[in-house]
Amino acid sequence: MKIAHHAINDTLTLALDGELDASSSVSLDTELTKPDVLDYRKVMIDCQRLNYISSAGLGVFISHLQRFQDAGVKLVFFNMQEKVHNVFEILGLDSLMTIVPTEQEATAV
Amino acid sequence: MIALLRKLIPLALPLAVVSWLGLLVCMLLRASPAAAARWGTPPDWVILTAQALFAAGIFLHERARPDRLRGTEFVPLLRQLLVWPGALAAVCVLLHLTQHLLAAYVPDRGPVLLNAFYTVNLGLFVYFLARTCYTWRSLVFFRAQPRTRQEWRWFEVLLGASLLFRLVSGDTTSWVLMPVLLGLAGLGVYLSAHQQWIAYLNRRQKWEIVFLQLAILGVMAVFVVYFLNLQNDPQLAGPLAQHAFLVLTSFFAGFYAVMGFLVTLFNLPTAGVFEQKREEILSMQRLSQLIQKGQSEKEVYSLLFDSAVQTVEADAAWLDLDTDNDGPGFSYRVDAGTREGICRLLADYNIGHIEYLNNDLPNSAGFRALELPYGSLIVMPLRSTKHHYGTLYLLKETRQGFDRENLSLLQIFTNQTVLSIENLRLLQESLQSERVKEELKIASLVQESLIPKTLPADSWFEIRWHSLPAREVGGDFYDFLQLSASRIAIIIGDVSGKGTTAAFHVAQMKGIFHSLMLLDKPERGQPLQPSKFMAMANQALSHCLERSSFITASFYIVDYKERGFAFARAGHCHTLYYNAITEETFYFQTEGLGLGILRDGAAYEKRIKNMYYDYNPGDVMVMYTDGIVEARNAQEEEYGEDRLRKLLERSHYLEAEDIKQSIIRDLEEFSRGLPPFDDQTLLVIKFKNAQPLA
Repeated sequence: MKIAHHAINDTLTLALDGELDASSSVSLDTELTKPDVLDYRKVMIDCQRLNYISSAGLGVFISHLQRFQDAGVKLVFFNMQEKVHNVFEILGLDSLMTIVPTEQEATAV
Repeated sequence: MIALLRKLIPLALPLAVVSWLGLLVCMLLRASPAAAARWGTPPDWVILTAQALFAAGIFLHERARPDRLRGTEFVPLLRQLLVWPGALAAVCVLLHLTQHLLAAYVPDRGPVLLNAFYTVNLGLFVYFLARTCYTWRSLVFFRAQPRTRQEWRWFEVLLGASLLFRLVSGDTTSWVLMPVLLGLAGLGVYLSAHQQWIAYLNRRQKWEIVFLQLAILGVMAVFVVYFLNLQNDPQLAGPLAQHAFLVLTSFFAGFYAVMGFLVTLFNLPTAGVFEQKREEILSMQRLSQLIQKGQSEKEVYSLLFDSAVQTVEADAAWLDLDTDNDGPGFSYRVDAGTREGICRLLADYNIGHIEYLNNDLPNSAGFRALELPYGSLIVMPLRSTKHHYGTLYLLKETRQGFDRENLSLLQIFTNQTVLSIENLRLLQESLQSERVKEELKIASLVQESLIPKTLPADSWFEIRWHSLPAREVGGDFYDFLQLSASRIAIIIGDVSGKGTTAAFHVAQMKGIFHSLMLLDKPERGQPLQPSKFMAMANQALSHCLERSSFITASFYIVDYKERGFAFARAGHCHTLYYNAITEETFYFQTEGLGLGILRDGAAYEKRIKNMYYDYNPGDVMVMYTDGIVEARNAQEEEYGEDRLRKLLERSHYLEAEDIKQSIIRDLEEFSRGLPPFDDQTLLVIKFKNAQPLA
């Protein structure tokens, strides 16, 4: 699992590459826990290369959801592969989180 | 040929005895003119042949005796050699004196006595030489190469040949044979260089050996003086004994003894050093045995420290350990100031953790500044390839106090210690993991007991289940509760994460399920709505689930009277269903958020939906966890909902048990022996066209 940072103005983009399983979700959690993440207005997660997400990976996003909302930071997912999207959907997260097809839409949110 | 000689060996002693008796008779005949006149005078060659046969017999007999050397017991060997032949020499002297005394009383019998005693003494001397030569052989052969044995054999063969010289050449030694004899003597000298055995003696034994060798030389001298005296005695009747052979063997026996004596004597001053080395080796053996017995790391370190200090005779020493839990380490006659000073200096030089030997501390500027009373220092780290355990420091007051051997010995000590420490740690780890395994086994048993064993059974439906945790304990759960004869509650779910943590939440969820089922009161017109159940479960879990955990579940209440079921899905896998009327196989597409994700009760309730469905006899409902549809094969492909649906399309007409089996078989075929990646749980319900039993 590789996580690439890209920050423009008030937007932080994290591009996830690989499988988000129990061990790699720890490093994602470390990224999202950093205090300066809350300084951004929006955190965009690029899921183009995200092949698999385990329940532990979902848990990381779930645990930060409330924190982001309280701090007024928007969490947006984009470029999500069908099977990963399916996992979000089954769990009902698609109604709770902002998931858009493309980067343009994500930027527009 | 050799086999034949071997067979002749038992005859060697009788031959020697017979030929000696023959020799005695011949000599007596020659000495006594009266008897000679009566019986005839035996010629010289008979005497010489008898002498040769006797010598050959005795030597062959001694040669065939088993090696007298036992292990490295050299002192008993030499003592044995001295006691018997020593007695022989005493007998020789005694006989000589007796002969002189008797000759004074019976002058006319003088020559007879002289010759008789000469023959006896010759026999004793030959025996003594044989014993000595073959004792020396044991010493020459000690730790010798096969080549040496070969050389010795040649030496023996040539000596045997020299026995014949006297027979051939008569009284005078032929000049032709001189070089051969000299060569033989040279070979004797060469063989005398094999004195390795002396190295194995300790100081006390060396002293003993010195005196024993002197005594043996003394015995030899007694014989030699006797024979030299007799050589010129006109009364000697027979021809002189086997010159070449006797001279050569005496020369070898004497030379080897002299060499041994000298080597031992010159070894005496260094015996102390040898003994110290021996002591070091012994203490190393002791250490390795003790260290293996060490029960704790502290014990092992303490053994290392004591042995190291003793062996190198350090004047001061200490052992620093890197691990905190082992206490402050060990020290011997050294104060904290010195320790700190040296450590800081080594750290400054950046050699704090490497092997370091300094035999001239007063000449190193840094150490001179510390004004230590020591001249030599060894620093020896204790480390394996992966880990650094500590450092051993040894100090001596003298300069040049340590040598390379000390250093390599300490290396062996520390390696042995590190090995033992690592073994101890491995042992502890394996014990620990054994304990954990044992606890997991208990957890697994507990969880096993939480799983319903008895299925609700009735005539109007069939339930079959299958459950396979990926680890000892799993995060999947399911449960049933027969609410009444015509109503049954079913729950299936999955806790995020795997293993023990997940197993705890499973237990919680089971408790929540059974508690909430108490709220179901259909007789009062208040049946429990599945969405309400989920909302309350979410509320309960909000207080006991960590932020990153969540639970997915599907909850069903099947009602025979209504011929239908109500259910809600909280983020769990879609339920697969076969409708026997429409002959359609499909997934219930309902919305519903997983439990524990939204902790605000009201907000959660909006996101969970109730669903009602009327069932027909022959309908099949398949409930499962994501371990089934997300099972992977070697190509990293997922089993998927589609494959499951198509399978049910083909197998819906079977009994519940057979439908379950066909799914398990298909799953196994798909993953081809790969172990399950996630917990797998499967429930199959088939509705029947029959009345409830109760």
